[in-house]
Amino acid sequence: MSDRKLPRLLQTPAVLLLLVWMLIPLGMTLYFSFIRYVLNNLRRPEWTSPSPSNWRGFGNYEFVLKSKDFFLAIQNSLFIVCSILFLTVILGILIAVLINKTFPGQGIVRVLLISPFFVMPAVNAVLWINMILDPVLGLQGIAIAGINDVLDGLRQIPILGAFFSLWPEFEPISFRATQTSAIAVIMMVTWQWTPFAVLIFMTSLQSEDQQQKEAAVLDGANTWSQFRFLTLPHLGRPIAIVVMIQAIFHLSLYAEIEIVSRGNGNKNLPYLIGEFANNNIGAASATGIFAVILANIVAIFLLRMVGKTLME
Amino acid sequence: MGRIVLDQVSKTFGDVEVIPPLDLTIEDGEFTVFVGPSGCGKSTLLRMIAGLEDLTSGAIEIDGEDVTEVSPSKRGLAMVFQSYALYPHMTVRKNIGFPLRMEKMQQTEIDKRVETAAQSLNLMDYLDRKPGQLSGGQRQRVAIGRAIVRDPSAFLFDEPLSNLDAALRVGMRLEISEMHERMRTTMIYVTHDQVEAMTMANKIVVLQAGRIEQVGSPLDLYHKPQNVFVAGFIGSPKMNIFSGPEAEKNGAHTIGIRPEHTDVSMTAGTWEGRVGVAEHLGSDTFIHVNDTGLADMFTVRITGDISVKHGDKIYLTPRADQIHKFDVQGQRIE
Ligand SMILES: Nc1ncnc2c1ncn2[C@@H]1O[C@H](COP(=O)(O)OP(=O)(O)O)[C@@H](O)[C@H]1O
Ligand SMILES: [Mg+2]
Repeated sequence: MSDRKLPRLLQTPAVLLLLVWMLIPLGMTLYFSFIRYVLNNLRRPEWTSPSPSNWRGFGNYEFVLKSKDFFLAIQNSLFIVCSILFLTVILGILIAVLINKTFPGQGIVRVLLISPFFVMPAVNAVLWINMILDPVLGLQGIAIAGINDVLDGLRQIPILGAFFSLWPEFEPISFRATQTSAIAVIMMVTWQWTPFAVLIFMTSLQSEDQQQKEAAVLDGANTWSQFRFLTLPHLGRPIAIVVMIQAIFHLSLYAEIEIVSRGNGNKNLPYLIGEFANNNIGAASATGIFAVILANIVAIFLLRMVGKTLME
Repeated sequence: MGRIVLDQVSKTFGDVEVIPPLDLTIEDGEFTVFVGPSGCGKSTLLRMIAGLEDLTSGAIEIDGEDVTEVSPSKRGLAMVFQSYALYPHMTVRKNIGFPLRMEKMQQTEIDKRVETAAQSLNLMDYLDRKPGQLSGGQRQRVAIGRAIVRDPSAFLFDEPLSNLDAALRVGMRLEISEMHERMRTTMIYVTHDQVEAMTMANKIVVLQAGRIEQVGSPLDLYHKPQNVFVAGFIGSPKMNIFSGPEAEKNGAHTIGIRPEHTDVSMTAGTWEGRVGVAEHLGSDTFIHVNDTGLADMFTVRITGDISVKHGDKIYLTPRADQIHKFDVQGQRIE
């Protein structure tokens, strides 16, 4: 027994710190979510300081559930996170397998591939929405204008022109609109986070046992079978890591949503919390608790799914 | 069937010639062992036969058919790797059945074949485990099982036992020999351990720096080593090899006497020396003799026990008909 006491004792500060670090914010959020607490209210000034006498029970939760944006926010959170996860994992695996082979200029290609990860999220969002996706000034607008010009040119050709006249003008898409802003967010975050997936998958691919591959070659496995039966299961754990870490990060996306559409038609839970927190801390805290629950459900669900499908 | 012919086969990595052009024929049903020190090119040669390594020049024939350009899986060979190379995410059953699954065989037929193989390898109780849950010996069996189900024309083993502990190694050695007796399929077995080579082979190929030093049956190599390298490599403890006046007396540049072909006396003999370390194995005693003036150390092997102490004076007499003679180039003189 006694030889266990010292290690325990030495661990205590770290464990305590961790508990304090996690439990105090969580406890405060829970507490605020059960009281009336607003930043500004001229009629009921007593609500502007947190106090148990302002107890509201599940009132804040009811308020949040009934607010018109809540289910949109949950749906959007899930849609954005799942799409990003799906795209980054697929792209990550494809790119990692591709650049795992040796080729000239490998080092430079790898550095370039990783670089999007070092761009700040807000800068990333500004670049994408203004320089790439903007329907007039962005790459999208220029490209579509260019295509339309070419089409116009083709229409001038004597006989063939009649055929091209049947084609419609191409319309650039506005990615700030209600229906498309989530797509814009998904694109820019996928671009930024695919390098992360590539990095993790590449390290894992390099640790793959080459003799297993050779054994599989002798066993008659073609390239696809080797990928399906050896590489993909080998990547099971890294995929789980990429999925988990990204789920944590992307459930709390904020900057991109703010910059693309100011939450117009495209709120997620953090954005909703931000809106509530302008005044109603109680409601914001209740939303925060919903976000914690959602994050846990997503984590458990994703881990199960990844574990099942890959480990055969 | 499985007659393998190597015709002027060579291999160069970059500008290092690992295997100079080499000819070798492995007869159908033969248990051939490639033996040689580490880094001499045994694995490379085996991998070239398997098709995992391209030839720099030359040709490989299996059963009269040129397979130099044939893909590894189409050569009808099965290989067992030193690291076992099992598929870690699959159960033993799936591992063994994998080559059949790749052939798109019916599942019922796969199950049947896997069970037959598992039965012969005592793996029935482990079929649903993953390789990570098996001991080294069991993993080795799974690797062998995966080779057997394919019903190959030849088996290739690359140091399959070197990751096992000594006791297990002896057991697996016997099992593989037994397997060969039963199946009578061509086997090529790579090892750096001359004891494995001597005990298992029908034919031993001794390699050094990619060159074939000698090909022959174990007893051929033991009784008639063609050169100094083979003489020193085959046999345990090592043959005593030395040059000098005593060698010239026998009409050779270098002579060799095996430890077991030297008689020992405490009173008189041809050569005199002092006992260094004596290793008592019970059945045998190895005595390392110093100060003979012949070689740094002279080892003798005596059947049974003998009581000698460190520093005792001892007399050695070689059996005249067991002296191996070599010329300046290190080649055998008859
Ligand atoms: N892929 C390779 N590239 C360069 N050199 C190699 C390669 N494979 C083996 N070699 C060299 O070839 C020689 C023989 O190797 P190997 O066949 O593995 O020896 P063994 O199996 O007899 O120990 C060694 O010197 C090794 O360094
Ligand atoms: Mg080797």
